[in-house]
Order: sequence, then structure tokens, then C-alpha cells
Amino acid sequence: MKVMVANNMEPFVRGGAELLADNLVLHLREAGHEAELLRIPLSYRDWRTIPAQMVAARNFELANVDRLIALKFPAYLLRHEQKVVWLLHQYRQAYDLFDAGASDVPATPLGAEFRSIVATADSEALSEARAVFTNSSVTSQRLSRYNGLSSTVLPPPLNDPERFRGGDPAGYIFAGGRVNEMKRQSLLIQALAKTPSSVRLIIAGPPDSASTARELEALAVRLGVQDRVRLDLRFLTRDEVAELVNHATACAYIPVDEDSMGYVAMEAAQARKPIISCSDSGGILELARHAQTGWVCEPSASSLADAMTEATQRAPLSRKRGVAAYELWTSLDLSWEHTIQRLLA
Amino acid sequence: MKIALVSSISPFVYGGGRNIVEWLVPHLEEAGHQVEVIYLPFIDKREALFPQLTAYRTIDLTDQVDAVICFRPPSHLVRHPRKILWFIHHLRAFYDLWDTEYRGFPDDAAHRALRDAVRNVDNVALSEAARVFTNSAVVSRRLLQYNQVASEVLYPPVAEPERFHSAGSNGTVVCVARLEHHKRQHLLIEAMAHTSTEVRLRIVGTGSRDYVQSLAERVSELGVGDRVAVEDRWISEDEKVEVLSTCLASAYLPFDEDSYGYPSIEAALSRKATLTTSDAGGVLELVQDGRNGLIAEPTPVALAAALDRLASDQARTASMGEAAYDRLAELGIDWATVVNRILA
Repeated sequence: MKVMVANNMEPFVRGGAELLADNLVLHLREAGHEAELLRIPLSYRDWRTIPAQMVAARNFELANVDRLIALKFPAYLLRHEQKVVWLLHQYRQAYDLFDAGASDVPATPLGAEFRSIVATADSEALSEARAVFTNSSVTSQRLSRYNGLSSTVLPPPLNDPERFRGGDPAGYIFAGGRVNEMKRQSLLIQALAKTPSSVRLIIAGPPDSASTARELEALAVRLGVQDRVRLDLRFLTRDEVAELVNHATACAYIPVDEDSMGYVAMEAAQARKPIISCSDSGGILELARHAQTGWVCEPSASSLADAMTEATQRAPLSRKRGVAAYELWTSLDLSWEHTIQRLLA
Repeated sequence: MKIALVSSISPFVYGGGRNIVEWLVPHLEEAGHQVEVIYLPFIDKREALFPQLTAYRTIDLTDQVDAVICFRPPSHLVRHPRKILWFIHHLRAFYDLWDTEYRGFPDDAAHRALRDAVRNVDNVALSEAARVFTNSAVVSRRLLQYNQVASEVLYPPVAEPERFHSAGSNGTVVCVARLEHHKRQHLLIEAMAHTSTEVRLRIVGTGSRDYVQSLAERVSELGVGDRVAVEDRWISEDEKVEVLSTCLASAYLPFDEDSYGYPSIEAALSRKATLTTSDAGGVLELVQDGRNGLIAEPTPVALAAALDRLASDQARTASMGEAAYDRLAELGIDWATVVNRILA
């Protein structure tokens, strides 16, 4: 089958969605299909330019394609008779981010009209699809709440599960992934300052800005924990990430209301590591369950400090919760083979 | 510098117009630039033409990259203050093919209006461009004739030109190209019936079954099977390098081609002369008669005389091969020239 995977793109920006799109193409080819990735440029910078960009997505012609798999707004506006949507996210500024007061769309009649345009187009384009899958229950809930559409949760598989085979814990808490305010690495450093000196923390991942990195370093020094936290703030290779996960005692991942389960949590579970998360971390809580697969803390330094201390000092407990995380994760049967079967069904 | 390369594609059709884009990428990166390739779908369907042009026009890469290089139409419609066009062809049905059988729709008021609209759109997009390059003098002439736009010819080199080389001559003239009627391998076979030397001909490539069949039949009808080999098969890049390295000369006689055609460049890089015809179009921008190849009238007799010349004075043929290689430098057909000029 000739399968076109459609995503939007901004030049030189790469994140989880781009990685997922690349891997989907790769695994479609491994499954014997012809697969190609279409990346439609989208600029989010000014909401007023969005309607024209929606029209553009609607006007492209896709010939010689048997199946379209569209991932994001506005790629799913593409017209195709055999369209499947695997929704990673809508244009959130017109929906939940607007309600949360975190959108650049103004609360004016013009803004309201704009939001209605987006909602109408989304509802129409998604209704055309053979099937609508989403990457998480959070995304599905939003789609139901704002567009009245039902969908099936199909979480993205790990791209390279074979790397995360686990290993002996070396006595550190590992916090991987992108480094920014939404991921709250600073809260982990504050928590570390409230733990006994035996607790160690490694934060490794690419910072969104140079100032983020400098602030974390300054914070560690100010709290006097610079000897107990290692800050490796850069883009790490997959092997480097796996090495750090495989030898962690526990993995901490505490984003604010994340849409999906999060690769960081999925990799931890694959490597049989318990997950420390927060009660407001959104999709992460599908894998992080308190006292079962890890620790779900209040988003406070003291609550996190208690979890980090217990994880470090009670190795058998950590090991047991890590195994439970692995079992929960593998019970979801998120293999690429299975995922592709469902997308092409 | 951050550079976006934008072109149109037919999904799942590779090669052709994608080559020039993909081959340019590593050379821009070597020159220290960051490169992002953006392929957008396009189908040459009249009813869907303007919606698609609208979609392309909506793409605005201002503030996202420092420069945009656009290739196949309608990628030249995207917006950017530093938009560089490497224009490889028009939507030809609305231009030079209008008065031919290839137009494919009636010459009526509605279609004339469509034609005029396409030309207006092109004129606007062309006038915005910071620089306009083409891939051949033929395309440059069309831009001047139809759009009144001056442009610079920037010949596209092939990928990894350094892999081609010469390893002497085995006395065979080769034609490595798609087997298509407009590439006229049949003329070469017919010429072989008129030759007086022991020159041999080897034709390699894939093509339409009917044409391949007709070539085989012609070889046996003319009784030239002992000196002519027709190999209907896909040839790997490595084997192509090898075949060209050992041949006497290369023959390439497409009918009125837009550009010089990659086979001419590959022969020149292998230090081999090219035999072509006076109606081959863009090939004649590269090949000069008696200097780096031979230009014959497109008849079996004239081509036979040229084949005999190549075979009877092999020293002369070899020196024309050297001249063919030098001609590439003369025309600046190399990636360093492309990178320098396109971002100048």
C-alpha cells in the first residue's frame, strides 16, 4: 500500500512529533509498504495567519496515494478518501489553551469567530476520516469536549525499545527529556535540597534556551547541591539516554499536564525503572501509579523529596515498582506491528 | 545560513525533479549552511490547478529561514524576501506546448483565460524573486519570450561527479539512457546498418515494452546483431560508471530536449566524446561538433558516417573526450560553481 504520512513542520524545529512521524514511515516500510512523509510548513507565530494556512492544507491534491495518515493540525485538513487521523494535537490556542488563558487568540468577537472557524474546520475534516485515533486519553477528551467527536486512543510505541533493556541501579535518580519550565527540572533540584546527602540526581537533555540551562546551574549552586546533581544539558544520543535510564534507580518525569504518556516515562517502564511523577502531570499518570509503578507526588519540593529519598534508600521497593511499571507498560501491547495494523485496518 | 529548498513532487515518484534538490543538499551543508528540504504535492490536473496554486502561494517562510531556493513549479509561488529560483520548467501546456498536440485541452475562451491567469501568476512570482536561474538556455529563452524575465543559466551537475573516470577504450559506442522513442535509440540501430568500420554499439537502459521490442526486431531485420547489443535492464550507478569508463564514445540523441541531459554530462565526466544530433535541443549547449563530440543530422546515413569517424580515428576520439571533460569546467558545471552562484 502507498501510505502518505502527513505532518506539519517549521523549518529546523524537531521534537517528539517529528521523531514519531519519521519512525512511522520507517516502520511502515519495514511492514512492506511504500511510505513517504509530507511536511506542510505551518507558522504558529500569529494566529491571524492560521485561516489562510488552513485553506492551503485543504487545497493540496494527493494523487497516487492509497492511504493518508495525518498527525497534526492542519495536516488532517488534507482531503483524501482514505484518510486516517492519528491526532497528536489540535491547534490548542483555539481550545484548551484559550480556556486556560494561555493563548494569543484574544477574547474578542474576532477571536471568537476565529476559534469557531478552527472548530468548524476540525469537525468537518475529522468527520471525513475513516478512523480517528489519538495519542492519549487527554487528546481524546479534548476532542470529545470541544468537537463532540469520539476517537480511539492509540499511544505511539517506543521507537527503539531494544535499547532499554534495564540494568543494575547505580544509585541515582534520572530525569531525562527536554529541559524547560513546563518540565519543571528546577522543582527537582529544589526537592534534592531537601533529601539526605545519599540522594543523587542526573538531569540530562536539551534545554529550550541557554538561559534555562544557566538558571538551573545557578539554582543548584545556590541550594548547595551542585555536588549531588549532574546537569548534562544538551542533545544526547539515543545510546547515551539508554545508558542513563538502564542504570538509574528511578526515573523522575514531572511535566505540567502533558498530553501523552511521554517517551521518558515509556522508556523508564521499558527498562523496568519506577517512575516518579506529579499528580498534575497529565498523560504520564497512565503509567505512573502511586505505590504501584512508582510515586505520584504533590507538585512540591517536599513531596518529591520524600519520593526521591524512599526510591534511593529502599532499593528492593524501587526494583519491585520498576517491574510493575514494565508489566503495566507491556500489557498495553504498544508494538509498531500492532499499531500499523490498526492504522491501516 | 538557514536555507529551505522547496519543490513540488508527485507522491511516490522518485528521481527526475527530486535529484537536483537532493544532490544540492550536501554541497550547501559542506559550505556551512543548514538546509531543510520541503516537498509539496502537485498534480498536473486542470480543474485542480488554481486551488493548488493558492495553497503554494499561502506558504510564507519569511522569518523562518534566511533564504529559499525554489525548483519545480509551482514552488516558485511561495513567499520569502530572499527567494531564489532555480527554474527547471514552466507548466508547459500553458506555454511552449500550447500550440502542439501535447496541450491536452481545447483552445477555447475558457482555456485561454486559464492560460492568461497562469502566466499572470507566474509573472508575479518571477518578479518577486531575488535571483532567477534556469537549468538550460532553452528554459531561459522561454522565460524571456513568454514572461519577459531575464535569467542566468546555471547547469545542474550530477551527484558525486568524481566517481566517473576513464579507463581507456574498448571500441564500443554506448548509449546509457531510458529506452524511449524520443531518445531515438532506433536511429542508432538503423545507422549501424550503414557503417563501414567495425564500430560496435551497446544500448543499455529500461523503457516501455513496445519500444524495447521494436528495437530488438530492428536489430534482427537489419542483421546487425553481431555488432549491436540492446540490454533492456536497469543499470546500477556503479555499473554505469564502469560502462562509461571503458567505452569509445557515448551516443545521446534525444529529440529537442530542454536541458543537456545527464547522459551527456556523465560521458564528459568519463572523458568521452558524445555523438548527438542537430535537433537534440539542450544537448547542443554542451556538445560542439568536432571539438568534444560530433553533431550529425538525425538520419541513419549521417549518424553512420559519424560512428565511423569515431571508430576510425580513435586517437582523435580520445582527445575529443578530454575536451568534453574540459568543457564542463568552461561551462562551470560543478557543485562549487552552483553553491557560489546560487547564494551570491
